[in-house]
Amino acid sequence: MARRMKQTSEDRASVDRRKFLKAATLAGTGAVAQAVASADAAAAATKNAATASSPERHTVQVVSREGEQGTPRPDGTTQTSCGSDFMVDVMRGLGIEYVAAIPGNTFKGLHESVINYGMTTSPSLELLSCMHEEISVAISHGYAKIAGKPMACMMHSTVGLQHGAMAIYNAWADRVPVFAIVGAQLDAAKRGGYVDWAHSVFDGPALVRDFTKWDDTPISLRHFAESASRAYKFSMTPPYGPTVLAVDQELQEDAIKGNETPVIPHMPQVAPPRGDDGAVNETARLLVAAERPLIVADRAARTPEGLRLLVELAEELQAPVVDIYGRMNFPWRHPLNQTRRQAVLVGNADVVLGLELTDFWGVTGNKLASGARRISISAGDLYMKSNYQDFDRFTPVDIAIAADAEATLPALIEAVRKLVTSRRRSAFRARGEQLAKEHQETLEQSRAAAAAGWDLQPITTARLCAELYEQIRHEDWALCNGTIFQNNWPQQLWTANHHYQYIGDAGAYGLGYLPGASVGAALAHRKHGRLAVAIGGDGDLMFTPGALWTAAHHRIPLLYVVHNNRAYHQEVMYVQMMAAKRQRGITRAHIGNTITDPNVDFAKLAASMGVYSEGPITDPNDLGAALQRAVAIVKRGEPALVDVVSQGR
Amino acid sequence: MATNAFGTVVALACLVVTGTAVGETPSPAGDPANGKRVFFADGCFYCHGTTGAGGGNAGPRLAPNPLPLEGVKAKVRTASGRMPVYSPAVLQDSEIADIVAYLRSIPAGKQAKDIPLLNR
Repeated sequence: MARRMKQTSEDRASVDRRKFLKAATLAGTGAVAQAVASADAAAAATKNAATASSPERHTVQVVSREGEQGTPRPDGTTQTSCGSDFMVDVMRGLGIEYVAAIPGNTFKGLHESVINYGMTTSPSLELLSCMHEEISVAISHGYAKIAGKPMACMMHSTVGLQHGAMAIYNAWADRVPVFAIVGAQLDAAKRGGYVDWAHSVFDGPALVRDFTKWDDTPISLRHFAESASRAYKFSMTPPYGPTVLAVDQELQEDAIKGNETPVIPHMPQVAPPRGDDGAVNETARLLVAAERPLIVADRAARTPEGLRLLVELAEELQAPVVDIYGRMNFPWRHPLNQTRRQAVLVGNADVVLGLELTDFWGVTGNKLASGARRISISAGDLYMKSNYQDFDRFTPVDIAIAADAEATLPALIEAVRKLVTSRRRSAFRARGEQLAKEHQETLEQSRAAAAAGWDLQPITTARLCAELYEQIRHEDWALCNGTIFQNNWPQQLWTANHHYQYIGDAGAYGLGYLPGASVGAALAHRKHGRLAVAIGGDGDLMFTPGALWTAAHHRIPLLYVVHNNRAYHQEVMYVQMMAAKRQRGITRAHIGNTITDPNVDFAKLAASMGVYSEGPITDPNDLGAALQRAVAIVKRGEPALVDVVSQGR
Repeated sequence: MATNAFGTVVALACLVVTGTAVGETPSPAGDPANGKRVFFADGCFYCHGTTGAGGGNAGPRLAPNPLPLEGVKAKVRTASGRMPVYSPAVLQDSEIADIVAYLRSIPAGKQAKDIPLLNR
């Protein structure tokens, strides 16, 4: 699908005014953009284009706005350079293409540079207009899981970061890179009125230090360039994670001093850590010797190559794979996909190989047979913090390989191949044939379960997912949500073979994730022409509905299906449990849990933000046609929303 | 995802599986209308679906063909996992009987083989 950018008349006028801006193209790693804005633009552009080949020198010239704006600035000051243009060059030198933000005065210098320099010179660094910092971060979160690289997001170091903190925690727990920049007014002498003081903090990143990989507060442009590169390197080294740079207002806004020629470091080629050879060989030995091996994958496939490698390993061993659905680890209809049989397989296993399992205990706990061996390959062992407890219960394992699973798989596959004898291969083949039969039986069971309540109102989640699949199955679709609240019906009923077709969930179950994350993922899908779809809860959408506006404003094609069960259903049972224990009756457990009286009209909500919408759909027989119309809109390059009044789960 | 806690607790929270146990005596009749009222008032439907069709990981299928009354009662009184334990002070035996009557009144729906969308 062709990329479509909304261009308002204001945008066009702005671009026209600044069309004399010329920049040499950033030519890949470590390249430098040189921008020139001058009344004599053509001559200047030619001159500077000729000097742009210098790989590590940056000069920026920005002339007075007087000519453009027609009105001199009140103080009469003008600049011929600014630090934030350099920061833009650093970011796009790192391959960053987007900055998600709502405006804030502590990063107004960067804001101006992004829109008037980053967006008007090549390669583009585009500003995504957001409605909430939580959305900005969530967009970055979802984008990175598809693009395979971070997006930048900007916010105040005080109130903005406070808004965005939960979303940063989600990204941390989900092991996703986010390149956060927070504006800071470090020099107290430069602060104005009470708002400046209220928006100032001595150490802003401290707020999120417990759940970010690294942060810094650079005090020079060179310092910024080095720290930005370091942040990128850390965020993109497994385990991935968010980083924060607090960037001083003066550093952004002031002219580049004197003859300072900041260096833009080369973008590092990050090599993920691989497992120790001895441990890998021992793992291979155990797997080949095992009669009932089990592979369990959570955030194992960081890239398409990870999925391919996991298939290769499983097929080599003819071993069952249980997918915890942190990522698209394994094709959903592959005969060795035995996810629905997790309980039986774990109980019978003699060797369990956990790949990037956050919760090994949750999978195996006390469920393993006596003598069964646990092996873990996880980059999570390489970088951990103590305060927030997302590392889950300690699980004793026999071999703990502190390494990236995807990067370790090639060596493990090779080691397995060396050990497999013809006799073992014959045994593997028989095991695989049995597993294929069980996969098919599980599929039939899923279909039978999905038929239950097929014509019910409210509509079952199985019906919702089946109707949606019917509309997209012939497209190059990509699902942008975790599916636990839809009973994993897509994994049970749909066929998915590609890594990009599923991205997992929020990470820390922080509500408000999906609207932004799905928009971010859809943005990354857009240039590939994929049909991005998301199924999200009504409660989640009520946290961050403003993400829909961002999708409409930037023409990001996304079909958002609201699983509208009119409640925070998960918590009802918890309150019931409390009330029952206290012998006070359970008829009031819905209070505070349901989202009724009035019912939320999500179609109107979406329409108010320029998003095509349908609903509320209450009759399952109306659902297919509504989805079909919405899919047509999305295929035109626009977002659409279908509100489906649904069963709880 | 970070945890698979749902899968863990669901295994423990299997309130009812459908079917009829061998040797069970016929259950006393309840009032299906009142059973439906209680099923909704007490919020059973949140996890088990409005007709007991089940809520996947959240709550197993209860109907059609529910367990006999005594089986249901045992589950309600000694539940584990996320399924709350309901004492007689919260849910009387007669109300459980009514709920079972309601579940028994629910007809079997379509079969998967008869639904084209489930045979792709």
